Amino acid sequence: MAKNSQSRIVALLLTVFNPRKLFYTVLVLLGVIIVTFFIRPPGDPARVLLGQRADSASVQNMRVQLGLDKPLYTQIGMYIYNIVRHGDLGKSIATQRSVRETIEERLPATALLAVSSILIATILGVILGVIASWRANSWVDSLTMSTSLLGISLPAFVVGLLFVLVFGVVLEWFPNSGYIDRGWEHLVLPMVTLAIRPLSIIARVTRSSMLDVLGQDYVRTARAKGLSSIRVFMKHALRNALNPVVTTVSAWFAGLLAGTYFIEFIFNWPGIGLAAFSAIEKLDYPMIQGVVLLTAIVFVIVNAASDVIYSLLDPKVRVS
Amino acid sequence: MKQSKIVVDTPSRQAWRRLRKNPGALIGMIVLTTMIFMAVAAPLITPFSPTVQILEYSVKPAGFSGKILYKKNSANPDQPSIIAVESFSEVGDSVHYTDPAGQPYVIPTSMLQGANKDEWSAEPTFLLGTDRFGRDMFTRLVYGMRISLSVGLISESIALIIGIILGSLAGYFRGGVDDVIMWLVNVVWSFPTILLVVAFSVILGKGYWQTFVAIGISSWVDIARIVRGQFFSIREQEYIEATRAMGFGTVRTIFRHMLPNAAGPIIVLATAGFATAIIAEASLSFIGLGVQPPTPSWGQMIKDGYGYIALGTNWGMTLFPSIAMAIAVISLNLFGDGLRDAFDPKTSQR
Repeated sequence: MAKNSQSRIVALLLTVFNPRKLFYTVLVLLGVIIVTFFIRPPGDPARVLLGQRADSASVQNMRVQLGLDKPLYTQIGMYIYNIVRHGDLGKSIATQRSVRETIEERLPATALLAVSSILIATILGVILGVIASWRANSWVDSLTMSTSLLGISLPAFVVGLLFVLVFGVVLEWFPNSGYIDRGWEHLVLPMVTLAIRPLSIIARVTRSSMLDVLGQDYVRTARAKGLSSIRVFMKHALRNALNPVVTTVSAWFAGLLAGTYFIEFIFNWPGIGLAAFSAIEKLDYPMIQGVVLLTAIVFVIVNAASDVIYSLLDPKVRVS
Repeated sequence: MKQSKIVVDTPSRQAWRRLRKNPGALIGMIVLTTMIFMAVAAPLITPFSPTVQILEYSVKPAGFSGKILYKKNSANPDQPSIIAVESFSEVGDSVHYTDPAGQPYVIPTSMLQGANKDEWSAEPTFLLGTDRFGRDMFTRLVYGMRISLSVGLISESIALIIGIILGSLAGYFRGGVDDVIMWLVNVVWSFPTILLVVAFSVILGKGYWQTFVAIGISSWVDIARIVRGQFFSIREQEYIEATRAMGFGTVRTIFRHMLPNAAGPIIVLATAGFATAIIAEASLSFIGLGVQPPTPSWGQMIKDGYGYIALGTNWGMTLFPSIAMAIAVISLNLFGDGLRDAFDPKTSQR
């Protein structure tokens, strides 16, 4: 009895901390850091930063300061070492501040925007998808599906601009830009804008997954047993239809983060994306590297985590 | 002897038949074809050059029309300089005119381009208004279509080449080759596409070709994955074993016998990638990377108009390029959905 529960715990631990998967995740993260290292302006970054008229002495100085005088493999090694050992992402060239500090300072704003958007998108998306599948091929269904096609087809920044125009300028319902320190109403437009695209996708995935499940034998059996159709719909169908939705939501999270950066840029929302995109103009590449790296790491971790959750939920995927 | 033609009901023929029955896909196809024609025929259907500026007529609303005179341009005889005028009258061998600010001027007729009044003067209508530099929005929109469509075409071709090569190598050889390629796929996949495009644009610098390449080398991952997956199952088919028995080389087997059988999903993905590329280019231009001015691009135009939105003036500058992009992307999505259903009726959405 005790042995049985012990082996169960071991199996559970192996599922969560599967050594092979962990090792692979580390390998991927290493690759991600190396790719990020190469995000720098073409040619000699020191020359680019100082301008064409800078004298060679100050360019040389800058090269030493940025570590560009060392061979490439040393630079990559140093970059990886600093990140892994100290979490050090380097210094912003424009502000001379630590990139990590800037990111830590601005991360709450980005997280607030991203998390509130994905919550809204998930809740509304599932509801809309279920309604559309409840009355498949009705006008509600067609309306939801065609609107969601529009939502998928428009990039977030265009939706954002249109919302600014309609709700900010013409109707004057919500403020166009700024952060919640000036009131929560500042969150509304950026949040809704960001939610449109994932909402459309979640609604579509929920609908097609629901239709799939509704066609299965066990749903027919449940109906044949005489269960009320709303009960069959909610208990038997929806539960099983949610799996692909969970996958979609987790897969969308990183894409959503990237979208967040554009939204921050439009609404002047003081998150890490605004910092990164403002850095592009000044070719302040350590700042860009930091934000890109952070996004990729979040993506890798979210993916690994959803993998674990998946295997915990589904006995078929569990390691034997 | 006359050879009779045998009609074989190939999978692609079946797919085409299904595609023809899908109204959404047909609409998408028609709109896309129209756009391609407009882009190719841009100089014929637009009244101006996309870079010609009439500063006096800047930021005018849709439907604005204003008088202009064509003045001889010694530097470039084919492209006369344009003078915006409020009104003008011919007096002897010279023309008296007042500019939009109300200042009177006199110019000898010999300095104007053309022999008579109809040739050296005009009152064009700016169908969609003008931008910040008094350039015709309609003209720039049509020329922007050229950029968007070529970004889709060229970037997606780059993505297809990389994706197909890496995907087939991984799927055909498996083992160590597969491990290395899949590691690369997973690394690249960890970056959201649009962020990777931004990163590569920083690495490659701003410009026309740099943008195409940056988008292309950021979007091959999905293609590589699907090709690899397809190859895994195709490789086990008997006809592939037959190619081995007949002693065909690897390259011949991959390109002549395996790829054509994986074509359906690849085409579907490529269509979706085309739309993503258009959005990526616009996003890049919007944050100041990408195709640089004065080359007209939709993202650039949306960015230019953005400043005027907050002021509440001339929304058209943002609205028209946004609508153009939405139409292009929706058509591509409709067409792509239709293709997916046509190639794989099992997964079609009911």
